Order: sequence, then C-alpha cells, then structure tokens
Amino acid sequence: MRLARLLALAVLPFIFAAVSACSGDDSATFKPTPASTPTAAPTPTPTFGSVPHNVGGSMILATTTSTVDSGLLDDLVPLFTKITGTEVKVIGVGTGAALDMGAKGDADAVLVHAPASEKKFVDSGDLIDGKLVMHNDFIIVGPASDPAKVKGLKDLKAALAAVASFGPFISRGDDSGTHKKELELWTTAKIDLKTVKNREETGQGMGATLNIADQKSGYTLTDRGTFLALKKNLKLTILFEGDLSLLNIYHVYAVNPARHGGVKNAQAEAFVAFMVAPEIQKLIGDFKKAEFGEPLFIADAGKAEDAVGR
Amino acid sequence: MAELWDGLREAIRLILSGDSYLRDVAFRTIVVSGSATLFAMAAGVPLGYWLARGRFRGRTLLLSAVNTGMGMPPVVVGLVVWLMLVRSGPLGGLDLIYTQRAMVIAQFIIAVPLVVGFTAAAMQALPEHLPDLLAVLGAGRLRTLWLLSREANLGLLAAIMAGFGAVVSEVGASMTVGGNIQGSTRVLTTAIVTETSRGQNDRAIGLGIVLLAMAFAVNLVLTLVQQRRLR
Amino acid sequence: MEVRFQDVRFLRGARCILEVPSLKFAQGRVTALLGPNGAGKSTILRLIAALERPTAGTVWLDGASASPARPTRAKVAFAFQDAVFITGTVRSNLDLALRLRDLPGEERATRIAAVAEACGIAPLLDRNAHGLSGGESQRANLARALCLQAPLTLLDEPLAGLDGPARQQLLRELPSLLRTFAATTILVTHDRDEALRLADDLVVLIEGRVRAAGVKRDVFRSPPDAETAEFLGYSVVSSLEDGLAIAPGALRIGEGDVTFDLTVEAVADLGARRELSGWIAGTRVALPLDDGAAVPGVGSVMLVSAPRTAVVRW
Repeated sequence: MRLARLLALAVLPFIFAAVSACSGDDSATFKPTPASTPTAAPTPTPTFGSVPHNVGGSMILATTTSTVDSGLLDDLVPLFTKITGTEVKVIGVGTGAALDMGAKGDADAVLVHAPASEKKFVDSGDLIDGKLVMHNDFIIVGPASDPAKVKGLKDLKAALAAVASFGPFISRGDDSGTHKKELELWTTAKIDLKTVKNREETGQGMGATLNIADQKSGYTLTDRGTFLALKKNLKLTILFEGDLSLLNIYHVYAVNPARHGGVKNAQAEAFVAFMVAPEIQKLIGDFKKAEFGEPLFIADAGKAEDAVGR
Repeated sequence: MAELWDGLREAIRLILSGDSYLRDVAFRTIVVSGSATLFAMAAGVPLGYWLARGRFRGRTLLLSAVNTGMGMPPVVVGLVVWLMLVRSGPLGGLDLIYTQRAMVIAQFIIAVPLVVGFTAAAMQALPEHLPDLLAVLGAGRLRTLWLLSREANLGLLAAIMAGFGAVVSEVGASMTVGGNIQGSTRVLTTAIVTETSRGQNDRAIGLGIVLLAMAFAVNLVLTLVQQRRLR
Repeated sequence: MEVRFQDVRFLRGARCILEVPSLKFAQGRVTALLGPNGAGKSTILRLIAALERPTAGTVWLDGASASPARPTRAKVAFAFQDAVFITGTVRSNLDLALRLRDLPGEERATRIAAVAEACGIAPLLDRNAHGLSGGESQRANLARALCLQAPLTLLDEPLAGLDGPARQQLLRELPSLLRTFAATTILVTHDRDEALRLADDLVVLIEGRVRAAGVKRDVFRSPPDAETAEFLGYSVVSSLEDGLAIAPGALRIGEGDVTFDLTVEAVADLGARRELSGWIAGTRVALPLDDGAAVPGVGSVMLVSAPRTAVVRW
C-alpha cells in the first residue's frame, strides 16, 4: 500500500501541527531574538520594588502600531513577564481602535499617545489610574532641496503655512495618533485642509508613508523614532522640530474593572506600576541611544502634565 | 525593481542564516494553517460527500451556499470571529482571542467551503453506482467514505491544495483574531504586513519569498502523490 | 434463501413504480425476472438488497425483513448491470469483496483462484480493472458476485452489453456457474431467450405489476393475458374470437390441430434457412419455409397450423 504510506507521511506534519496548535502553548518552540541591540553599559541588577511580583495570568495591552514599531515594547514586555509572571498580548492598532478596545473592555490596559482623545474615556470612567510615561516628538521632514523653504523657520505656524502653499504633503490618513496630531496642527494654525497643496492620505503606517513621501519628494509629519530607524534608506531630511505642540505624550491606563467585568485588573495595575517604575524609566531613556546617538524617548513619569518638554 | 532584488537577497540571507525570527514565524505558519486545513478536511470531506450523494430537500440551496462561501472574503470571516471571541463578545469568556487557536478557528471557517465544494464536485464525478456497490458488499459508512475518497483522490488532493493555499496566504483574519503578536501569533503573512508598514520592504519581500517557497513545497509533495496515483 | 414480497408498493414521488401484493422466490432455484425495460425489475432487486425501502409492505428474506444491516447484507450478493470497480487490479476488487465478508487471507486466495478459473478470467486477475473490455468486465463483475457464494445471488442483466459469440459463450456457461457458486439466484433480464435458458422459475413483470409467476414451463405455456403472451414471444391474434395467442416457433405450413389462414407477405432468405412472413387476421407472423418447398406468391392465402398445446385462448 505505497499510497497509504505516502499519504501518511504527507499528513504526519499536519497532525503534528494540529496537536501543537491544540496544546494551548501559544509560543512556538523558538524564541525570536529581540529586535534591538542591548544597551551598552552593564547596570547593577534592579530590584523593581515598586512592581508587584508573582501576579501571573495573562493580559491584553492595547497600544498603537507606532509604539509597537518603535521596538520599545520588545525590550520592556519580556522584562515585565519575568518580574510579574504575567503574559502580555500586545495588540498594536490605530489609536482610535486602541481606545475603543479599552472602552469595551476588550483590553486590560491601554498605552496611547493622544491626550485629547484620551480625555473622553477618562471622563467616562472607562480608563482609570492613568499615568504619564514618556514623550517623543514629531518632526516635519521633506526633500533635501526643500522647495517650500521650511528649513530655518523658527515658527511652527510659518513652517506649516510654507508647506501648505507649496506641497505635496503626505498624510497618514489612518486615524492614528500621528494623523490626529497632524489634523490638530492644521486646525491650530488655522489652515484649511483643502488649501494644503497636493495633500494625499496614504491610510498606511508611518514607515510606508515615509517611503511614499520619499518617492514623491513630499513633506510629511513623522515621529522622530520611525524616521531615525529608516533614515538610511530615505532621501528626506529633518526640516522643522522643537515646538511644544509637536510633543507626542504617552500615557498608560488600566481599564476600569467596575465597568467591565472580565478585565484582568491585577495584571493591568501591575503593568501601570511597571511603566512608571524608576528602573524602567531609565531603560526608556536609554532606548536606542547608542544606535542613533540621541534618545528616542524622554521618560516623564512623576512630572506635572504641563512640565513635559520644557 | 531594485527592491525585488533586495528582497530576493534578503530571503536567501534569512534562510541560510537560520534566522530565528524567520524560523519562529515560518514554523507557526505551518502549524496554524496546516492544522486548520487538516480539520477542514476532516469536517469538509464527509460534508462534501453528503452534499454530492445525498437526496434531500434544499440540497441545491445548500450547494449554492457552499459555492458562495468559497468566495467569502477572509477579512470578513476574521471580523465576525473576532466579534465572537473578543472579551465583550458572546464567547469572550473562553479567553480565545489573540491566540493560535483563534487563528485556527478562523482559517478553518475559511477553508471548509473550499474543501466541501471541491469534494462534492469530485464525488459527483464518480461512477453513479459505486456507493451502492460498496453498500451491498457490506462496507460500513466510514469504510465507504475511505474507499470513495481513494477513488476521488485527484479531486480531494485538489481540495487540500485549495484549502491550504487559501489559508496560508490570507492575512486579514489572521491579523484580526491573532493580533500579530511577536513570538505568539505572528505568522508569515502578518509579519509581511508589519515589515511593510515599517517601511522595511526588502524584509517584507524576503518573507514573501519564503512563504511562496513553503507553499510550493507543500504543493509539490501533494502533486507528487496525486500524479503517482494516476499511474 | 427464500424471498417473499408482502403487500409491497414502491412510489417515486407521485409515480407508482411497483405494486406487488404477493410474490415468492423459491429457495435453491434460479428465478428469471423478465419484463420490458422500465418495468421495475431492477427496483425489485434493489428492494431485496435493501438499497431502497418499500413505500408500503415488507420484503422478507428467510423470515427476516430485508435491511441494510451488515449481517443481512452478508447473505446477499449483487452484480449490478453496469460493472463498477474500484481502482486497482481485478484481483484486488475480488479481494475487497471477500475482505468485507471477513474472510481470512488464505481462503480469499483460494476462492479467487477457483472462481477466476470457472469464469474464465484467470489471466485477467492482475490486469487493471478499468482496462477491461466489455465482455471481460461483465465476467469479472459476475465473478465478484459468485466468489461470495452467498445464500442469495442477484444478477441484473448479466449478459448486458455482450455481443454475439461472447454472449452465447457466457450464456452456455452460466447455468453450471450458478449451480457451483450460487444457492438461490434471481436474475433480471429483458431477453426471453436468456430467461428460458437459465431459469427454473419465471416471473413476468410489466409496468410494475407481476403478470405471471411460477415454474418456467407453466408460466410459458399458460400466459394469463395478451400482454404477457406478447412479451413471451407469442403471436397474439387479437381479432379472432376473444383472445388467442400462438406460441413462438409453433406454426407450420399445412394441416394440424388448430388451423389458420395466412396471407403471404414475403419470403426472407436468412442464409441457413428461409422464413415466410404473412398475416393471420391482421397479426403478422413468421414461420420457417423448408428448403425444398415452393415459394408462394405474395398475397396468396396458405393454410398453416399449430399444435393444440401451443395455442392459448382466453
């Protein structure tokens, strides 16, 4: 019965696969190496006294795609799991979707960077125990030739007006934190979207959007981190930075267990405590500093909200 | 064009270096899509046979539904399964969301109409009196199904290839119900999306080539089995 | 095995395919189920093999009702009209049939060898079952049923699709094959010659109803009505008296027990013999014309006759 044997051989890997999938062990046998290079200076073993140990269980963290793409969580989450014993499912979606998940109780903790949008959910009581974590900033990048003459301008409004009158401007257009920030900036500068010359919405992530801006020699608003990571492949350069309005501020919240029965509150609170723990704040400040020559994030835990960036 | 070459080089580099990220993601792709296809065959072949040979009211209606199901957008399946499994959904208590098992469930739903449709077609092409012959010879239901499957094996192998091909290449459902969590629910297709969104196009193409190579290898084995049978 | 039909009706949709209030197939005998195409003969076999269920009534096999249960099925061997095989050699097809009866390997090999020899398919055993000619596959199909040596053997048109010499040969061999390998046999055919050569008992089925059943000789010599008689090959002369039929091959030229006036139509030269055809009161008949006899003119009237036993009246 050669056929039977052949078929059995062909089916065997699939049976093995089925058994693996059912055994409930979600992580495959192989553990991937972390995306970033480890930080250079050896530090004394931290004690993480402020973070609860032996919490166990699992939790869902809703955050944004750009946060995931920065690679920061690839370093922090395994550390969190080691300390607390809690497995974290990091779900990277658009800011709107992440806040929505919090509002519905589909996530246990939320880490986002759109304070204006977050306010609504804090007021409604869905997100509680919010803590300021860190910030990075947005920059305006464009072609090296800079036809709109943005470089050298000191005022944000002037820079935006210059870009608007010359174009093309490439927008994320995907309801992400970056997209929301962009719309906020146009509104504050009193520039009507329709008057921005050759404005296009890509509907895609920051990396893809930067590639498109590069192809079209256009201007775009980007977070510093993504730009630094892709700089070597792009012909774009930084043309404006530093205004306080360009700050991108991150908060972490736990989802209110009183409003949503199934949330894993112990794990979520442990995560909140973790993100603002002094040891983690130091790691955040050192993240990719060696690689890029400058820090990607500035740690802010404990500061007053309006003291950020000053 | 240059990016395609970069992608090819990246693919070769990834494979030859035994990159552990690649191994993790590729292995998981086989586990998830392979088991979903296996379950879809287990459920779909008997269903397909019943649809082909059964005589009951509403058979034509059911056949049309199956054929429509073959063209169902996987991303829609993913959304529906997500709504069912998410914490706030009816089956939220099962804690299945963002797990491999959830992905297998979604891919199973995507593959079943394909398997049923192909099996029904293959069974209908069999000689009309073959099931009767097996019945009078005394073959039980399971034995009959096995013997008929052997007779229809060309069509059934096509069913496996179609089912596997559909789920190993789909991204919408896997992304939505799995969450694309690195080390846990990330598969080749969702990894490609991640790399693209980060602008790492050469890595994306590299992963794409690996995916194609994997699908090709599976189909090669199945086609070899199929062609041997013909002789 | 004795088979009995009791108050059986079989409907497909709104159509009544079979209506058989009472029918018996005797144990240990070969019964030919004879009738025109579409009469419902195959349906009767399917009801016996429990491939269909009667809409009303019961089919009894040795006192137990026919059912698809394995023990009952094990007692029935069925050769379908179209020979269907699974992919593989002829040997593997026969082997499958025997394996499904839970026979051990050695016995299977013995039986296959015996029946292959008897049916003349021994050289075909290792050939691909789907590569056989019409005659070869009919024999293989038959061999598969016979190797089971079941208490009841059902054959649906065993000589279907066979031509001339192949048909004649199998027709000659069948009686001894049935005696060796079959206990009770029911065979379906639309061919009168086949039925008469192979059967002990005859059942005539026309349009779903049993017209005649019984020992071959009795059925043949006493058809109950014109339709049955016609199917059995009689020449039915309808306009003469109430009903009269002449057995096939019974007419001769000249004087005899019962005489008729024949209006000559034509003489046909069939190579080995000559045949005279004509009309008896509006019904066309044929009879042999001796080589030496003179050819009568067309339209002339001749006296023909048949023995008393060959003429049936109602």
